[in-house]
Amino acid sequence: MNDTVLQTRGLTKYYDSTPAVDHLDLEIPRGCICGFVGRNGAGKTTAIKLMLGLLEPTAGSASLLGCDSSALTPAIRQRIGYVAEGHRLFRWMTIGALEKFQRAFFPKQWDDKLFREMIEYFDLPKKKKIKHLSNGQRAQVSLALALAPNPELLIMDDPTLGLDAAIRRQFLEGMIELIMRQGRTILFSSHILGDVERVSDRIIVIDKGVLRANCSLEQFQRAIRKVVLSFSGDVPGQVDIEGLLHCKRGDKQLELTLVGADDEKVAALAKSIRAETYNVVTMNLEDQFIEFTAPANHKRLFQWEER
Amino acid sequence: MKFAALFGKEFRECLPWMLLAAIVLLAFGSFFLRAQAYDMNPNRDWSRGYNPPGTAVEAYRLTFNSPLAMLGPWLFCCSIGLGLILGARQFWIPNFTRTWPFLLHRSARRTTILTAKLTAGSTALVLAIGGVWVSLYWYACQLEVFTVPPPARVFIHGWILVIMGLLTYLGTALSGLSEARWYTTKIFGIAFAVIIVGVTTGEWSLARALAVIAFGAALLLSQLFDTFATREF
Repeated sequence: MNDTVLQTRGLTKYYDSTPAVDHLDLEIPRGCICGFVGRNGAGKTTAIKLMLGLLEPTAGSASLLGCDSSALTPAIRQRIGYVAEGHRLFRWMTIGALEKFQRAFFPKQWDDKLFREMIEYFDLPKKKKIKHLSNGQRAQVSLALALAPNPELLIMDDPTLGLDAAIRRQFLEGMIELIMRQGRTILFSSHILGDVERVSDRIIVIDKGVLRANCSLEQFQRAIRKVVLSFSGDVPGQVDIEGLLHCKRGDKQLELTLVGADDEKVAALAKSIRAETYNVVTMNLEDQFIEFTAPANHKRLFQWEER
Repeated sequence: MKFAALFGKEFRECLPWMLLAAIVLLAFGSFFLRAQAYDMNPNRDWSRGYNPPGTAVEAYRLTFNSPLAMLGPWLFCCSIGLGLILGARQFWIPNFTRTWPFLLHRSARRTTILTAKLTAGSTALVLAIGGVWVSLYWYACQLEVFTVPPPARVFIHGWILVIMGLLTYLGTALSGLSEARWYTTKIFGIAFAVIIVGVTTGEWSLARALAVIAFGAALLLSQLFDTFATREF
């Protein structure tokens, strides 16, 4: 059995002269839960649509379950679940009608019991029309529709966008239900780093269409560090260290954001620039992501002047 | 099973418009025919449901100036209007509701999805307009109302108008699928359908009219399948 379920090679998409996805090289192994993160307009949705063959790449290729994305056969699509951005479903249909419609495309693998249990768990009335459901309820229906056919690969485009904390948690629990089944792979894009932290074991970071990171969540969390160095005298003008992302100067302090600097490197740096003390600041995934994707010369929105 | 599910979904989306067009055409058509029959035969006793002896209308008058033929402009408008509405419903609205990705990501080929859409739309149009036309023809054929039946060529020409609605439907569908701008090639679908309809309307030979329609439909269909297979959603 092939262990790579999703692969892209130099995947590129231009809209006129603007690159939305730029030479994306990815490999996602079977059985992992992959958080696909990036800022607004980073190219997540475009990349997902390219992977699913809904968009034509300008260059490069993508393959899902060993089949080229531009020619996904019905048999391969049957093995892939997809939750589209915004949970756009047919508004005039009732949940029951939508279930019947979806089941027709998965006659052998549709798990009636699972769908029923999810609908009951989410407390959704089957006779209610999609147009009368809230955003959160539509998300729940989308998830139930995507999970009931037991997909080998589930791709979700910002599934928790616009949902409140309680619904988001229920949604993630639904995802975990699928994760519990052996060999299932999930790729989901999200803005909410807390969600990624909670369920993912792998993280892909994309910024302005370019792949910035593709590693295990643990590796990512270990790699991004913030170090605050204190000085008794003047703060050095230039700091030369490999993996330096950002450098912020204070009165007697230097705040560095580093990638891939271990304890030894940090200690050596502190010594070389004659820092009196140094402190490695604990960062959560959201802070790490913001630091990692922030432009080098970023400014705060409100720069209050100290008087 | 997959095709049936797709067809059912598409047909259900067309149903309200189909019923609306059918009701409007049927109501106006039957009212018009009844009024015409009354005008031609003012002595008719409507309460008895048949013509009293000696009140038959001359046959030649109905043959050359059939009341059914006078419904032509109405049939034309309803057919073209429904064609426009169904084309927009099936191929434009999903662009705004953003349901294309949900529809397209399923275990069916794009050609199957498009075939189901077109079959459902065409069926809805033919059932609504063609069905009502058959009913009106049947009504006009009732001897109790008009004394002599309308000629068969009126009935056939009516079907040409129904087919013009189908052409408009295909043209609207093509414009709806096109990603180009209005002032470039997006207009092509509707414009081409309008040209074919115009040519057919001025064409008096049935064979030539059918040939023009067949040519137009073949071109629009080939463009539709090609666009749907290669379009980005």
